[in-house]
Amino acid sequence: MALHSSRPDARTDLLHGTLDMLILRTLQWGPQHGYAIGQTIRAQSSEVLQVEGGSLYPALQRLAKKGWVTAKWGQTELNQRAKFYRLTPEGKKQFLREASRWSELVNAVGQVMNPATAPGGKE
Amino acid sequence: MKPLRLDLDDDDFQDEIRAHLAIAAAERVADGADPKTARQSALKDFGNVTLTTEAARNIWRPRWLDALRDQLNDVRYAMRSLAKNPAFALTVVGVLTLGIGLNAAVFTMLKSVAISPLAGVDGSARLHVVYRETDAGRRVRVSYSDYLDLRRGNAAFQDLFGTSFIVAHIGRGRTAHQVSAELVTGNYFQALGVRAARGRTLLPSDEAAPGRDPVVVISDGLWRRDFNTDPGIVGKTVEINNTALTVVGVADPGFHGTIVSYDVEAFIPVTMAVQMGVGGGNASVLSDRSFGVVYPHGYLRSGTSLAAAASEATSMWTALSQAPLPSETAYRLRIVPFRDSPAGGQTYALPTVVVLSVMSVLVLLIACANIAGLVTVRAVSRRGEIALRLALGATRTRIVRLLIVENLVLAVPGALMGIVLTMRGIPLLIEYAQWLAAPQRVFLNIGVDQVVLVFSVIVACVCALVFGFVPALQSSRISLLSVMKEGLAPRGAARGRMRSGLVVAQVAVSLLLLVGAGLVTRSLEAARAAHPGFERDGVTAVELDVAQNAYDEPRGREFYRRLLDTVRADPGIESATIAMTPPLGFLDTRSQRVALDGYEPRPGEDLGFMFNVVGSDYFRTLGIGVLAGRAFQERDDDTAAPVVVVNRTLAERYWGGATEAIGKRLRTADASWRTVVGVAADVKYSRIDEAPRPYFYVPFFQSYRSRMMLHTRGPAPVEHLVEQARTSVAALDGDLPILAARSLSERTMGALIFLNFLAMMLFIFGVAGMALAAMGTYGLVSYTVKQRTHEIGVRMALGANGPSVVRAFLGRGLRLGAIGAAIGIVAALALTWLLRSVLFGVTTTDGVSFARALVIVLGGVFLATLIPAWRAARTDPLRALRHQ
Repeated sequence: MALHSSRPDARTDLLHGTLDMLILRTLQWGPQHGYAIGQTIRAQSSEVLQVEGGSLYPALQRLAKKGWVTAKWGQTELNQRAKFYRLTPEGKKQFLREASRWSELVNAVGQVMNPATAPGGKE
Repeated sequence: MKPLRLDLDDDDFQDEIRAHLAIAAAERVADGADPKTARQSALKDFGNVTLTTEAARNIWRPRWLDALRDQLNDVRYAMRSLAKNPAFALTVVGVLTLGIGLNAAVFTMLKSVAISPLAGVDGSARLHVVYRETDAGRRVRVSYSDYLDLRRGNAAFQDLFGTSFIVAHIGRGRTAHQVSAELVTGNYFQALGVRAARGRTLLPSDEAAPGRDPVVVISDGLWRRDFNTDPGIVGKTVEINNTALTVVGVADPGFHGTIVSYDVEAFIPVTMAVQMGVGGGNASVLSDRSFGVVYPHGYLRSGTSLAAAASEATSMWTALSQAPLPSETAYRLRIVPFRDSPAGGQTYALPTVVVLSVMSVLVLLIACANIAGLVTVRAVSRRGEIALRLALGATRTRIVRLLIVENLVLAVPGALMGIVLTMRGIPLLIEYAQWLAAPQRVFLNIGVDQVVLVFSVIVACVCALVFGFVPALQSSRISLLSVMKEGLAPRGAARGRMRSGLVVAQVAVSLLLLVGAGLVTRSLEAARAAHPGFERDGVTAVELDVAQNAYDEPRGREFYRRLLDTVRADPGIESATIAMTPPLGFLDTRSQRVALDGYEPRPGEDLGFMFNVVGSDYFRTLGIGVLAGRAFQERDDDTAAPVVVVNRTLAERYWGGATEAIGKRLRTADASWRTVVGVAADVKYSRIDEAPRPYFYVPFFQSYRSRMMLHTRGPAPVEHLVEQARTSVAALDGDLPILAARSLSERTMGALIFLNFLAMMLFIFGVAGMALAAMGTYGLVSYTVKQRTHEIGVRMALGANGPSVVRAFLGRGLRLGAIGAAIGIVAALALTWLLRSVLFGVTTTDGVSFARALVIVLGGVFLATLIPAWRAARTDPLRALRHQ
């Protein structure tokens, strides 16, 4: 019997996983600091996905712990101090894995939602 | 490689958040906001900094640490919630203490006879013992020569050592005292893997030739008591059985010899047997193949089965029997596991301990059913709390876990206190056994060690889990809706059935226990009432060994003659005598093989009989009837013709009757033909439940022994007689130690030791089981009453009277009691055969025992139901209704 009440339930797992993927995606274009990552996700999702610090920074710690990103203090273009995150090779691989899983999921959900248009769908 | 981080770098993280806020604020300022608003808006967008930090910390914290923290929280919560209900907590801990304490105690006993019988020896339960057995099933030691041949020739044992238990005396005169000793072969210590704490152990070189090695290894206990932990003990001389022996070593403190139930304190080479007085000083003891000296012991080689070892031994035995100096054909060689050894007390103790083990498990079952009942009731009354937790989002697993943790929080102290109970109780048992066995020192490997600790804790946890789990699972299945709708009053036949089931189970098991206790108590009554063939009341038993003050035979004879003259001269003494062994001696004494006038034994027939060496007036003093001929008289001494008195069984079995036996002759082991002058009535010689057996008596003055027991009989209270006898001995020789002085009835109590002990333990078990069952029934009935207060109120408001309410509850309680009792009786009928080996004078289906148990159980249930029911009947209807 698993006795881990501290385990986040499935709902937040999905969110975490998705956020992690979005962060990795953002870092594909090069090292970024936390604030910029949040802003990028927001801009890219046409302001739909607002990433709070409360989710973003723990997510970055999680990725750092797994060794998918490394962090280093540096200067922004406007000469402000910031911590920049960079994808590691392992992180790049992880992103590719997550991206393909994501598209599978989207496909699958799409087929369920619109059975008629799905290739090979019955009736 | 970056260094492995185990924790969040807090300062760095705060720094990063500050940087984030600074950038965000700067951006807002660039968009035209004023700095103060910009900072606030950036902070607002960021969210809660503390929570974020906490979440980031959690990322780094290892999972098990979280789990542990959760567990600790559960434990803390459980303790808090139990502290709110101390009566419940104390009851459960108390019940568990009792249940686990009894089980730990019994397990410790089982350990001492079967699991780990020898202290200080690893794997002693795997030892095997070799002995000879006659047609009549008599178990006899192996002769030294046969032992040597077996040791040389056998392939089944890793090593075969021999040992012989003797009671010796150490020192002489006033300070002399008795010690248990083993005469052992030189490989004894090596084969057992026992080391010396000082000096050396005995070695094979100490067994070189008869009489050549006067050495001894003493026990740690003897070294401490008699030699005051003398650091220079090795090389000193001690006098044992009037022979000077050099101490070559002190054995490991944990080692107490290989004779279960005796504390062996001296280990002497078997080659010193003659000097130690084995066989009455007969010089051919070690070379005579008919004289049993040792029980060979050893570990079987790995891969050798007991059957293979036995068949090998048999074929070797056959070969030995055909040797030029043939071994006795009358014997078979047997190999048995150590727990069946004829050498120690384990064979007699095992049936008792097995019965106790079964019974103690039953007590534990009742205890668990009891706790399950308590937990169920408590869980039901906590429905509100649990519903609230479920409503707040706790998972059911979480709640079950919490309830189980609560049980464990109760189980662990229960186990520990149970162990304390055992540790306190066992010395009392030892003291009792010591008192029965005095002057011998008793030792049983019944220390509370890790094995017992682990056993108790496992038992406790299993109890807590198994019997806490079901109720816990049930209570987690609470439907939120039903609790909200119905308040705290639970419905559901299932839970009611469970409670009823618990009552039935407790009643059934306690009935079973009480039947067992009843059967054994009745056996004890029967055994006490049974006539042992002699009158034990008003007779003294004062044990002496004149060799302890270095008397030789002529002086010893003179001493005993004068002692008898002195005590007989006392007007308060009706009769007095001396005897080698008392009747009802518990352990069989050494037998003598005899030849009988006019009786031709079948080939291999066992004519070895136990015997006694007694003074004149023996039969009168002990109240043993003389059926034909005469008793011994003063004139039967070494100047007169050798005579013998046989018992009725011997006379009838071999000569066809008491009168026919008179004048016949019997040849004893010392090769003298003795004329039968009398036939005495049968006596229970060792144990009260023994079958009649042939036995004979030889007069003391024709067969001298240094160690005798003085019996006196008189009208005064026996304590006075004992003191008087003591004084008489001291007046003759103030330096002669008295080994033991007490009444004959005390001396023969040992014969009932296991029955006594079993009856006492089972009585405790029965009472404990019954008390638990009554408590459980009471608790569950009063709970039901509480639940139905409202209903009772309504009924009474509608005109029901008190007695009808009492009747309703009583009816239900007694119905459950009756079902439980019925199951208990069936179970008892099926299980009492287990007791067969320990019962005396009652059958396993003894009606009186069953009836008594039934009355006690139903009476208990009746009371346990009546009290809460009566309370219910006094319910004020108005208050009951208002209450809801």
